[in-house]
Amino acid sequence: MSPTREAILRLYSSSLRASHSFSSYNFRNYFIRRTKSTFRDMQKEQDSNRLQSMFDEAVKENAVLKRSAIVNQMYGGWRLVVEKQSPTRERSDT
Amino acid sequence: MFSRVSRRAARKLARPSLQCSSQRRTLVQPSTADRASVVDLPATYSDDGHFTPRSDMFGFKLEMPARESTLKDKARPIYLDMQATTPMDPRVLDAMLPYYTDQYGNPHSRTHAYGWEAEKGVDEARKHVADLIGAEPKDIIFTSGATETNNMAIKGVARFYKDKKRHIITTQTEHKCVLDSCRVLQEEGFEVTYLPVQHNGIISLEELEAAIRPDTSLVSIMTVNNETGVIQPIKEIGAICRKQRGVYFHSDAAQAVGKIPLDVNALNVDLMSISGHKIYGPKGIGAAYVRRRPRVRLEPIISGGGQERGLRSGTLPSTLAVGMGEAARVAKLEMARDHARISQLSKRLIDGINARVSHVVRNGDVTGYPGCVNLSFSYVEGESLLMALKDVALSSGSACTSASLEPSYVLRALGAAEDMAHSSLRFGIGRFTTETEIDYVVERISTVVSKLRDMSPLWEMVQEGIDISTINWSQH
Repeated sequence: MSPTREAILRLYSSSLRASHSFSSYNFRNYFIRRTKSTFRDMQKEQDSNRLQSMFDEAVKENAVLKRSAIVNQMYGGWRLVVEKQSPTRERSDT
Repeated sequence: MFSRVSRRAARKLARPSLQCSSQRRTLVQPSTADRASVVDLPATYSDDGHFTPRSDMFGFKLEMPARESTLKDKARPIYLDMQATTPMDPRVLDAMLPYYTDQYGNPHSRTHAYGWEAEKGVDEARKHVADLIGAEPKDIIFTSGATETNNMAIKGVARFYKDKKRHIITTQTEHKCVLDSCRVLQEEGFEVTYLPVQHNGIISLEELEAAIRPDTSLVSIMTVNNETGVIQPIKEIGAICRKQRGVYFHSDAAQAVGKIPLDVNALNVDLMSISGHKIYGPKGIGAAYVRRRPRVRLEPIISGGGQERGLRSGTLPSTLAVGMGEAARVAKLEMARDHARISQLSKRLIDGINARVSHVVRNGDVTGYPGCVNLSFSYVEGESLLMALKDVALSSGSACTSASLEPSYVLRALGAAEDMAHSSLRFGIGRFTTETEIDYVVERISTVVSKLRDMSPLWEMVQEGIDISTINWSQH
Protein backbone atom coordinates (compact mmCIF):
# COMPACT_ATOMS: atom_id res chain seq x y z
CA MET A 1 0.00 0.00 0.00
CA SER A 2 1.64 3.17 -1.08
CA PRO A 3 1.45 6.31 1.02
CA THR A 4 -1.17 8.88 0.10
CA ARG A 5 -0.28 12.31 -1.17
CA GLU A 6 -1.60 13.92 2.02
CA ALA A 7 0.56 11.67 4.19
CA ILE A 8 3.67 12.57 2.24
CA LEU A 9 2.87 16.27 2.42
CA ARG A 10 2.22 16.10 6.14
CA LEU A 11 5.52 14.30 6.66
CA TYR A 12 7.29 16.89 4.50
CA SER A 13 5.96 19.84 6.45
CA SER A 14 6.73 18.11 9.74
CA SER A 15 10.31 17.34 8.70
CA LEU A 16 10.80 20.87 7.38
CA ARG A 17 9.49 22.35 10.61
CA ALA A 18 11.89 20.15 12.61
CA SER A 19 14.80 21.16 10.35
CA HIS A 20 13.99 24.85 10.77
CA SER A 21 13.98 24.51 14.55
CA PHE A 22 17.69 23.58 14.84
CA SER A 23 19.62 26.26 16.65
CA SER A 24 22.96 25.58 14.97
CA TYR A 25 23.40 27.34 11.65
CA ASN A 26 25.23 24.48 9.90
CA PHE A 27 22.87 21.74 10.99
CA ARG A 28 19.79 23.81 10.23
CA ASN A 29 20.89 24.57 6.67
CA TYR A 30 22.01 21.00 6.07
CA PHE A 31 18.80 19.39 7.24
CA ILE A 32 16.58 21.87 5.37
CA ARG A 33 18.51 21.15 2.19
CA ARG A 34 18.45 17.43 2.79
CA THR A 35 14.71 17.30 3.55
CA LYS A 36 13.92 19.23 0.38
CA SER A 37 16.20 17.01 -1.69
CA THR A 38 14.81 13.76 -0.22
CA PHE A 39 11.21 14.74 -0.82
CA ARG A 40 12.00 15.98 -4.32
CA ASP A 41 13.41 12.51 -5.07
CA MET A 42 10.27 11.00 -3.59
CA GLN A 43 8.16 13.16 -5.88
CA LYS A 44 10.03 11.85 -8.93
CA GLU A 45 9.81 8.22 -7.82
CA GLN A 46 7.47 6.07 -9.92
CA ASP A 47 7.89 2.60 -8.42
CA SER A 48 5.43 2.18 -5.53
CA ASN A 49 7.52 -0.34 -3.55
CA ARG A 50 10.52 1.95 -3.53
CA LEU A 51 8.27 4.86 -2.67
CA GLN A 52 6.93 2.92 0.31
CA SER A 53 10.43 2.15 1.57
CA MET A 54 11.53 5.76 1.08
CA PHE A 55 8.46 6.91 2.99
CA ASP A 56 9.14 4.54 5.89
CA GLU A 57 12.73 5.73 6.08
CA ALA A 58 11.55 9.33 6.01
CA VAL A 59 9.17 8.62 8.90
CA LYS A 60 12.03 7.20 10.98
CA GLU A 61 14.29 10.10 10.10
CA ASN A 62 11.56 12.56 11.03
CA ALA A 63 11.47 11.17 14.56
CA VAL A 64 15.28 11.35 14.79
CA LEU A 65 15.20 14.91 13.46
CA LYS A 66 12.66 16.08 16.04
CA ARG A 67 14.70 14.70 18.93
CA SER A 68 17.98 16.01 17.53
CA ALA A 69 16.47 19.47 17.10
CA ILE A 70 15.47 19.56 20.78
CA VAL A 71 18.93 18.44 21.92
CA ASN A 72 20.50 21.05 19.66
CA GLN A 73 18.30 23.78 21.11
CA MET A 74 19.35 22.76 24.60
CA TYR A 75 23.08 22.72 23.99
CA GLY A 76 23.95 24.37 20.75
CA GLY A 77 23.07 27.25 18.54
CA TRP A 78 25.70 29.87 19.24
CA ARG A 79 25.54 32.52 16.56
CA LEU A 80 28.16 32.32 13.80
CA VAL A 81 29.80 35.27 12.07
CA VAL A 82 27.92 34.59 8.84
CA GLU A 83 24.54 34.81 10.54
CA LYS A 84 22.61 38.01 11.04
CA GLN A 85 23.95 39.57 14.22
CA SER A 86 21.48 41.24 16.55
CA PRO A 87 22.95 44.62 17.52
CA THR A 88 23.74 44.98 21.22
CA ARG A 89 21.99 47.98 22.70
CA GLU A 90 23.68 50.24 25.21
CA ARG A 91 22.38 53.03 27.36
CA SER A 92 23.03 56.49 25.97
CA ASP A 93 24.77 57.81 29.09
CA THR A 94 27.51 55.22 29.32
CA MET B 1 11.76 25.98 23.65
CA PHE B 2 14.47 25.43 26.21
CA SER B 3 16.71 28.07 24.72
CA ARG B 4 13.91 30.62 24.89
CA VAL B 5 13.53 30.08 28.60
CA SER B 6 17.23 30.36 29.24
CA ARG B 7 17.56 33.46 27.05
CA ARG B 8 14.99 35.31 29.14
CA ALA B 9 16.70 34.29 32.33
CA ALA B 10 20.06 35.27 30.91
CA ARG B 11 18.70 38.69 29.97
CA LYS B 12 17.42 39.22 33.50
CA LEU B 13 20.84 38.38 34.86
CA ALA B 14 22.61 40.60 32.36
CA ARG B 15 20.43 43.68 32.90
CA PRO B 16 22.22 44.96 36.06
CA SER B 17 25.47 44.99 34.06
CA LEU B 18 23.95 47.56 31.66
CA GLN B 19 23.18 49.88 34.55
CA CYS B 20 26.58 49.82 36.28
CA SER B 21 28.84 50.36 33.30
CA SER B 22 32.52 49.62 33.51
CA GLN B 23 33.42 52.97 31.95
CA ARG B 24 32.33 55.12 34.90
CA ARG B 25 34.79 57.96 35.30
CA THR B 26 36.55 58.34 38.64
CA LEU B 27 39.22 60.61 40.07
CA VAL B 28 42.75 59.83 39.01
CA GLN B 29 44.52 57.88 41.73
CA PRO B 30 48.25 58.12 42.34
CA SER B 31 50.16 54.93 41.51
CA THR B 32 51.06 52.75 44.43
CA ALA B 33 54.43 51.19 45.02
CA ASP B 34 53.48 47.78 43.75
CA ARG B 35 53.06 49.21 40.29
CA ALA B 36 56.75 50.14 40.22
CA SER B 37 57.94 46.64 39.55
CA VAL B 38 60.15 46.32 36.52
CA VAL B 39 60.58 42.58 36.43
CA ASP B 40 57.07 41.33 36.79
CA LEU B 41 53.53 42.53 36.34
CA PRO B 42 52.06 44.06 39.50
CA ALA B 43 49.42 42.11 41.32
CA THR B 44 46.70 44.67 40.55
CA TYR B 45 46.97 44.01 36.84
CA SER B 46 44.92 40.86 37.11
CA ASP B 47 43.54 40.80 33.60
CA ASP B 48 45.45 41.34 30.38
CA GLY B 49 42.91 43.84 29.06
CA HIS B 50 45.40 46.69 29.09
CA PHE B 51 47.45 44.91 26.45
CA THR B 52 44.58 44.98 24.02
CA PRO B 53 45.42 47.28 21.12
CA ARG B 54 42.80 49.04 19.02
CA SER B 55 40.58 46.77 17.00
CA ASP B 56 41.86 48.09 13.68
CA MET B 57 45.36 46.88 14.47
CA PHE B 58 45.96 43.66 12.73
CA GLY B 59 45.61 40.32 14.26
CA PHE B 60 47.09 40.84 17.71
CA LYS B 61 43.97 41.44 19.72
CA LEU B 62 43.95 39.15 22.69
CA GLU B 63 40.61 37.63 23.42
CA MET B 64 39.63 38.44 26.98
CA PRO B 65 37.43 35.76 28.44
CA ALA B 66 34.23 37.63 29.23
CA ARG B 67 33.34 37.15 32.84
CA GLU B 68 29.87 38.64 33.21
CA SER B 69 28.31 38.23 29.79
CA THR B 70 27.62 34.81 28.45
CA LEU B 71 29.76 33.54 25.62
CA LYS B 72 26.59 33.22 23.58
CA ASP B 73 26.67 36.95 22.85
CA LYS B 74 29.91 36.71 20.87
CA ALA B 75 29.80 35.51 17.28
CA ARG B 76 31.54 32.20 16.80
CA PRO B 77 33.94 31.68 13.92
CA ILE B 78 32.88 29.54 11.00
CA TYR B 79 34.48 26.14 10.88
CA LEU B 80 36.57 25.15 7.89
CA ASP B 81 38.98 22.68 9.43
CA MET B 82 37.28 19.38 8.65
CA GLN B 83 40.55 17.47 8.43
CA ALA B 84 41.31 18.18 12.07
CA THR B 85 37.93 16.96 13.23
CA THR B 86 34.34 17.05 12.11
CA PRO B 87 31.20 18.10 13.97
CA MET B 88 29.18 15.19 15.22
CA ASP B 89 26.14 14.57 13.06
CA PRO B 90 22.96 15.04 15.16
CA ARG B 91 21.72 11.64 13.98
CA VAL B 92 24.84 10.04 15.46
CA LEU B 93 24.26 11.79 18.78
CA ASP B 94 20.67 10.60 18.74
CA ALA B 95 21.82 7.01 18.26
CA MET B 96 24.33 7.27 21.11
CA LEU B 97 22.13 8.87 23.75
CA PRO B 98 20.15 5.72 24.72
CA TYR B 99 23.47 4.05 25.51
CA TYR B 100 24.45 6.98 27.69
CA THR B 101 21.19 7.00 29.62
CA ASP B 102 19.45 3.68 30.14
CA GLN B 103 21.27 1.06 28.07
CA TYR B 104 24.57 1.36 29.89
CA GLY B 105 25.56 -2.29 30.11
CA ASN B 106 29.01 -3.66 29.41
CA PRO B 107 28.87 -5.36 26.00
CA HIS B 108 31.00 -8.21 27.29
CA SER B 109 28.57 -9.13 30.08
CA ARG B 110 27.03 -12.35 28.91
CA THR B 111 24.59 -13.02 31.70
CA HIS B 112 21.99 -10.25 31.62
CA ALA B 113 19.90 -8.10 29.31
CA TYR B 114 21.97 -4.97 29.82
CA GLY B 115 25.00 -6.74 28.39
CA TRP B 116 23.02 -8.35 25.60
CA GLU B 117 21.52 -5.13 24.35
CA ALA B 118 24.87 -3.33 24.51
CA GLU B 119 26.44 -6.20 22.60
CA LYS B 120 23.65 -6.00 20.04
CA GLY B 121 24.34 -2.31 19.55
CA VAL B 122 28.05 -2.95 19.10
CA ASP B 123 27.42 -5.76 16.63
CA GLU B 124 25.19 -3.54 14.53
CA ALA B 125 27.86 -0.85 14.62
CA ARG B 126 30.45 -3.34 13.50
CA LYS B 127 28.26 -4.32 10.59
CA HIS B 128 27.76 -0.71 9.50
CA VAL B 129 31.51 -0.01 9.59
CA ALA B 130 32.21 -3.21 7.67
CA ASP B 131 29.62 -2.36 5.01
CA LEU B 132 31.24 1.00 4.49
CA ILE B 133 34.56 -0.53 3.41
CA GLY B 134 33.29 -3.75 1.85
CA ALA B 135 34.49 -6.06 4.61
CA GLU B 136 32.95 -8.66 6.91
CA PRO B 137 31.88 -7.64 10.44
CA LYS B 138 34.34 -10.12 11.93
CA ASP B 139 37.23 -8.27 10.31
CA ILE B 140 36.56 -5.03 12.19
CA ILE B 141 38.29 -4.33 15.50
CA PHE B 142 37.28 -1.28 17.50
CA THR B 143 40.16 0.73 18.91
CA SER B 144 40.55 4.12 20.51
CA GLY B 145 41.30 5.91 17.27
CA ALA B 146 43.30 5.80 14.08
CA THR B 147 46.54 6.53 15.96
CA GLU B 148 46.14 3.39 18.02
CA THR B 149 45.22 1.41 14.93
CA ASN B 150 48.30 2.65 13.08
CA ASN B 151 50.49 1.70 16.02
CA MET B 152 48.80 -1.68 16.28
CA ALA B 153 49.13 -2.43 12.60
CA ILE B 154 52.70 -1.31 12.08
CA LYS B 155 54.25 -2.49 15.32
CA GLY B 156 52.06 -5.59 15.44
CA VAL B 157 52.92 -6.90 11.99
CA ALA B 158 56.58 -5.94 12.23
CA ARG B 159 57.09 -7.60 15.62
CA PHE B 160 55.19 -10.74 14.66
CA TYR B 161 57.43 -11.40 11.69
CA LYS B 162 60.62 -10.02 13.25
CA ASP B 163 62.54 -13.29 13.00
CA LYS B 164 62.46 -13.52 9.23
CA LYS B 165 61.46 -10.05 8.00
CA ARG B 166 63.11 -6.83 9.11
CA HIS B 167 62.13 -4.26 6.48
CA ILE B 168 59.21 -1.82 6.35
CA ILE B 169 58.28 0.65 3.62
CA THR B 170 56.35 3.85 4.15
CA THR B 171 56.26 7.36 2.67
CA GLN B 172 57.54 10.73 3.80
CA THR B 173 54.08 12.28 3.89
CA GLU B 174 52.50 9.88 6.36
CA HIS B 175 50.80 10.92 9.55
CA LYS B 176 53.05 11.52 12.54
CA CYS B 177 51.87 8.37 14.33
CA VAL B 178 52.98 6.19 11.42
CA LEU B 179 56.35 7.91 11.16
CA ASP B 180 56.88 7.72 14.89
CA SER B 181 55.97 4.03 15.02
CA CYS B 182 58.51 3.41 12.28
CA ARG B 183 61.09 5.38 14.24
CA VAL B 184 60.46 3.20 17.30
CA LEU B 185 60.84 0.10 15.16
CA GLN B 186 64.09 1.47 13.79
CA GLU B 187 65.35 1.71 17.35
CA GLU B 188 64.36 -1.90 17.83
CA GLY B 189 66.54 -2.88 14.89
CA PHE B 190 64.22 -2.82 11.90
CA GLU B 191 65.04 -1.08 8.64
CA VAL B 192 62.58 1.45 7.30
CA THR B 193 62.49 2.95 3.81
CA TYR B 194 60.75 6.32 3.55
CA LEU B 195 59.64 6.69 -0.06
CA PRO B 196 59.78 10.23 -1.45
CA VAL B 197 56.77 11.73 -3.19
CA GLN B 198 56.61 13.53 -6.48
CA HIS B 199 55.74 17.19 -6.73
CA ASN B 200 52.02 16.44 -6.85
CA GLY B 201 52.21 14.33 -3.70
CA ILE B 202 51.75 10.90 -5.26
CA ILE B 203 54.41 8.23 -4.81
CA SER B 204 56.15 6.65 -7.75
CA LEU B 205 55.05 3.06 -8.27
CA GLU B 206 58.40 2.13 -9.82
CA GLU B 207 60.23 3.32 -6.73
CA LEU B 208 57.92 1.30 -4.53
CA GLU B 209 58.46 -1.82 -6.56
CA ALA B 210 62.20 -1.30 -6.47
CA ALA B 211 62.17 -0.76 -2.73
CA ILE B 212 60.40 -4.03 -1.90
CA ARG B 213 62.95 -6.62 -0.73
CA PRO B 214 62.57 -10.31 0.15
CA ASP B 215 62.58 -9.37 3.83
CA THR B 216 59.88 -6.69 3.59
CA SER B 217 56.96 -7.41 5.88
CA LEU B 218 54.81 -4.29 5.60
CA VAL B 219 54.04 -1.43 3.22
CA SER B 220 52.13 1.42 4.85
CA ILE B 221 50.74 4.18 2.62
CA MET B 222 47.85 6.47 3.51
CA THR B 223 44.89 6.71 1.15
CA VAL B 224 44.10 10.42 1.45
CA ASN B 225 46.64 12.80 2.90
CA ASN B 226 45.30 14.91 5.75
CA GLU B 227 47.23 18.05 4.79
CA THR B 228 47.00 18.18 1.03
CA GLY B 229 44.13 15.87 0.14
CA VAL B 230 46.25 13.86 -2.27
CA ILE B 231 44.78 10.44 -3.10
CA GLN B 232 47.40 7.73 -3.54
CA PRO B 233 46.94 4.98 -6.16
CA ILE B 234 45.92 2.39 -3.60
CA LYS B 235 44.64 -0.13 -6.13
CA GLU B 236 47.96 -0.27 -7.99
CA ILE B 237 49.94 -0.40 -4.75
CA GLY B 238 47.75 -3.23 -3.53
CA ALA B 239 48.35 -5.12 -6.77
CA ILE B 240 52.12 -4.69 -6.38
CA CYS B 241 52.04 -5.99 -2.82
CA ARG B 242 49.87 -8.94 -3.85
CA LYS B 243 52.42 -9.95 -6.44
CA GLN B 244 55.12 -10.25 -3.78
CA ARG B 245 54.42 -12.99 -1.31
CA GLY B 246 54.28 -12.11 2.34
CA VAL B 247 54.16 -8.33 1.99
CA TYR B 248 51.23 -6.88 3.90
CA PHE B 249 49.65 -3.63 2.79
CA HIS B 250 48.42 -1.26 5.46
CA SER B 251 46.63 1.94 4.58
CA ASP B 252 45.73 4.77 6.93
CA ALA B 253 42.32 5.61 5.51
CA ALA B 254 41.19 7.94 8.30
CA GLN B 255 40.55 10.82 5.90
CA ALA B 256 39.24 8.61 3.10
CA VAL B 257 36.63 6.38 4.71
CA GLY B 258 33.10 7.59 4.08
CA LYS B 259 34.29 10.22 1.64
CA ILE B 260 35.53 8.24 -1.34
CA PRO B 261 34.26 4.74 -2.13
CA LEU B 262 36.56 2.06 -0.72
CA ASP B 263 36.46 -1.70 -1.09
CA VAL B 264 39.19 -3.58 0.73
CA ASN B 265 38.94 -6.56 -1.60
CA ALA B 266 39.14 -4.55 -4.80
CA LEU B 267 42.01 -2.50 -3.40
CA ASN B 268 43.88 -5.53 -1.98
CA VAL B 269 44.32 -3.88 1.40
CA ASP B 270 45.23 -6.12 4.34
CA LEU B 271 45.01 -3.60 7.17
CA MET B 272 43.14 -0.34 7.27
CA SER B 273 42.81 2.41 9.88
CA ILE B 274 39.50 4.15 10.37
CA SER B 275 38.88 7.12 12.62
CA GLY B 276 35.53 7.92 14.17
CA HIS B 277 35.76 11.64 14.51
CA LYS B 278 36.68 12.21 10.85
CA ILE B 279 33.38 10.74 9.61
CA TYR B 280 31.11 12.93 11.77
CA GLY B 281 31.23 10.47 14.64
CA PRO B 282 32.45 10.73 18.24
CA LYS B 283 36.03 11.30 19.26
CA GLY B 284 37.89 8.54 21.04
CA ILE B 285 36.93 5.64 18.81
CA GLY B 286 38.40 4.16 15.68
CA ALA B 287 38.46 0.86 13.94
CA ALA B 288 40.99 -1.45 12.38
CA TYR B 289 40.24 -3.66 9.46
CA VAL B 290 42.37 -6.80 9.80
CA ARG B 291 41.99 -9.23 6.93
CA ARG B 292 41.08 -12.78 7.83
CA ARG B 293 41.40 -14.43 4.41
CA PRO B 294 44.39 -14.74 4.01
CA ARG B 295 44.91 -14.21 7.70
CA VAL B 296 47.02 -11.28 8.83
CA ARG B 297 48.82 -12.08 12.06
CA LEU B 298 49.54 -9.29 14.51
CA GLU B 299 51.19 -9.04 17.85
CA PRO B 300 48.72 -7.09 20.00
CA ILE B 301 50.02 -4.04 21.81
CA ILE B 302 47.33 -4.09 24.49
CA SER B 303 47.10 -7.31 26.48
CA GLY B 304 44.15 -8.29 28.61
CA GLY B 305 41.02 -10.37 28.52
CA GLY B 306 41.23 -11.28 24.84
CA GLN B 307 38.38 -9.11 23.55
CA GLU B 308 38.25 -8.20 19.86
CA ARG B 309 39.82 -11.46 18.67
CA GLY B 310 42.64 -11.04 21.18
CA LEU B 311 44.03 -8.13 19.18
CA ARG B 312 42.68 -5.33 21.36
CA SER B 313 41.66 -6.20 24.88
CA GLY B 314 39.57 -3.93 27.03
CA THR B 315 35.91 -3.07 27.52
CA LEU B 316 34.43 -1.76 24.34
CA PRO B 317 32.97 1.71 24.73
CA SER B 318 29.52 0.69 23.54
CA THR B 319 28.34 4.30 23.32
CA LEU B 320 31.22 5.37 21.11
CA ALA B 321 31.06 2.20 19.03
CA VAL B 322 27.35 2.72 18.40
CA GLY B 323 28.09 6.31 17.43
CA MET B 324 30.77 5.26 15.02
CA GLY B 325 28.49 2.65 13.50
CA GLU B 326 25.74 5.20 12.98
CA ALA B 327 28.25 7.64 11.48
CA ALA B 328 29.39 4.92 9.09
CA ARG B 329 25.80 4.11 8.12
CA VAL B 330 25.01 7.76 7.43
CA ALA B 331 28.28 8.19 5.54
CA LYS B 332 27.46 5.30 3.24
CA LEU B 333 23.99 6.73 2.65
CA GLU B 334 25.18 10.24 1.94
CA MET B 335 28.50 9.57 0.23
CA ALA B 336 27.45 10.37 -3.34
CA ARG B 337 25.43 13.45 -2.37
CA ASP B 338 28.13 14.78 -0.07
CA HIS B 339 30.88 14.24 -2.61
CA ALA B 340 29.00 16.11 -5.32
CA ARG B 341 28.24 19.00 -3.02
CA ILE B 342 31.75 19.20 -1.56
CA SER B 343 33.25 19.19 -5.07
CA GLN B 344 30.97 22.05 -6.00
CA LEU B 345 31.87 24.04 -2.87
CA SER B 346 35.56 23.35 -3.37
CA LYS B 347 35.40 24.63 -6.94
CA ARG B 348 33.58 27.72 -5.72
CA LEU B 349 36.30 28.34 -3.12
CA ILE B 350 39.23 27.87 -5.48
CA ASP B 351 37.68 29.86 -8.31
CA GLY B 352 36.69 32.63 -5.91
CA ILE B 353 40.16 32.95 -4.44
CA ASN B 354 41.95 32.71 -7.78
CA ALA B 355 39.71 35.42 -9.22
CA ARG B 356 40.56 37.88 -6.46
CA VAL B 357 44.07 36.99 -5.29
CA SER B 358 47.13 36.44 -7.45
CA HIS B 359 50.23 34.35 -6.75
CA VAL B 360 48.32 31.51 -5.12
CA VAL B 361 49.77 27.99 -5.35
CA ARG B 362 47.75 24.88 -4.72
CA ASN B 363 49.80 22.26 -2.89
CA GLY B 364 49.09 18.71 -3.86
CA ASP B 365 47.33 17.07 -6.76
CA VAL B 366 44.34 18.82 -8.31
CA THR B 367 42.64 15.45 -8.62
CA GLY B 368 42.91 14.87 -4.90
CA TYR B 369 40.03 14.88 -2.46
CA PRO B 370 38.09 18.13 -3.10
CA GLY B 371 37.23 18.64 0.55
CA CYS B 372 40.87 19.36 1.45
CA VAL B 373 42.31 22.39 -0.29
CA ASN B 374 45.82 23.48 0.64
CA LEU B 375 46.77 26.87 -0.74
CA SER B 376 50.00 28.83 -0.36
CA PHE B 377 49.88 32.59 -0.65
CA SER B 378 53.19 34.06 -1.80
CA TYR B 379 54.73 37.01 0.03
CA VAL B 380 52.37 36.61 2.97
CA GLU B 381 53.39 35.15 6.30
CA GLY B 382 51.21 32.22 7.34
CA GLU B 383 50.91 32.93 11.04
CA SER B 384 49.92 36.56 10.54
CA LEU B 385 47.37 35.41 7.97
CA LEU B 386 45.87 32.99 10.47
CA MET B 387 45.85 35.57 13.26
CA ALA B 388 44.03 38.05 11.07
CA LEU B 389 41.44 35.46 10.14
CA LYS B 390 40.23 34.99 13.67
CA ASP B 391 36.61 34.61 12.62
CA VAL B 392 37.35 31.65 10.39
CA ALA B 393 38.58 28.40 11.92
CA LEU B 394 41.38 27.32 9.62
CA SER B 395 44.67 25.61 10.07
CA SER B 396 48.05 25.85 8.44
CA GLY B 397 49.54 22.42 8.17
CA SER B 398 48.15 19.65 10.30
CA ALA B 399 46.77 19.93 13.81
CA CYS B 400 49.31 17.57 15.28
CA THR B 401 52.26 19.67 14.18
CA SER B 402 50.69 23.07 14.67
CA ALA B 403 52.34 23.56 18.06
CA SER B 404 55.86 23.62 16.61
CA LEU B 405 57.20 26.45 14.54
CA GLU B 406 58.55 24.21 11.82
CA PRO B 407 56.87 24.30 8.46
CA SER B 408 54.91 21.20 7.68
CA TYR B 409 57.03 18.21 6.73
CA VAL B 410 54.41 17.12 4.23
CA LEU B 411 54.75 20.33 2.26
CA ARG B 412 58.51 20.09 2.46
CA ALA B 413 58.33 16.56 1.06
CA LEU B 414 56.22 17.93 -1.79
CA GLY B 415 59.10 20.24 -2.64
CA ALA B 416 57.54 23.49 -1.51
CA ALA B 417 59.95 26.27 -0.62
CA GLU B 418 60.28 27.19 3.07
CA ASP B 419 58.43 30.48 2.80
CA MET B 420 55.64 28.93 0.75
CA ALA B 421 55.31 26.12 3.26
CA HIS B 422 55.01 28.72 6.02
CA SER B 423 52.26 30.63 4.25
CA SER B 424 50.01 27.68 3.49
CA LEU B 425 46.43 27.40 4.61
CA ARG B 426 44.37 24.24 4.66
CA PHE B 427 40.66 24.63 3.94
CA GLY B 428 38.55 21.71 5.04
CA ILE B 429 35.08 21.52 3.51
CA GLY B 430 32.58 19.07 4.90
CA ARG B 431 29.01 17.90 4.82
CA PHE B 432 27.68 20.85 6.79
CA THR B 433 29.52 23.68 5.03
CA THR B 434 27.33 26.22 3.29
CA GLU B 435 27.85 28.49 0.26
CA THR B 436 27.55 31.54 2.50
CA GLU B 437 30.52 30.34 4.56
CA ILE B 438 32.59 29.75 1.44
CA ASP B 439 31.76 33.20 0.09
CA TYR B 440 32.56 34.73 3.47
CA VAL B 441 35.95 33.05 3.63
CA VAL B 442 36.79 34.04 0.05
CA GLU B 443 35.93 37.64 0.88
CA ARG B 444 37.96 37.64 4.11
CA ILE B 445 40.98 35.97 2.55
CA SER B 446 41.03 38.42 -0.35
CA THR B 447 40.86 41.47 1.93
CA VAL B 448 43.38 40.12 4.44
CA VAL B 449 45.88 38.95 1.86
CA SER B 450 45.76 42.22 -0.05
CA LYS B 451 46.14 44.19 3.20
CA LEU B 452 49.10 42.08 4.32
CA ARG B 453 50.70 42.28 0.90
CA ASP B 454 50.33 46.06 0.85
CA MET B 455 52.35 46.14 4.04
CA SER B 456 55.03 43.81 2.72
CA PRO B 457 58.22 45.27 1.15
CA LEU B 458 58.82 41.97 -0.66
CA TRP B 459 55.54 42.41 -2.45
CA GLU B 460 56.53 45.95 -3.48
CA MET B 461 59.69 44.62 -5.00
CA VAL B 462 57.79 41.92 -6.86
CA GLN B 463 55.36 44.52 -8.19
CA GLU B 464 58.29 46.55 -9.48
CA GLY B 465 59.52 43.52 -11.31
CA ILE B 466 62.55 42.66 -9.18
CA ASP B 467 63.26 38.97 -8.99
CA ILE B 468 63.53 38.12 -5.28
CA SER B 469 65.76 35.11 -5.78
CA THR B 470 68.51 37.20 -7.37
CA ILE B 471 68.91 39.48 -4.37
CA ASN B 472 71.96 39.11 -2.18
CA TRP B 473 70.57 39.78 1.28
CA SER B 474 73.79 39.87 3.25
CA GLN B 475 74.95 43.28 2.05
CA HIS B 476 75.32 44.91 5.49
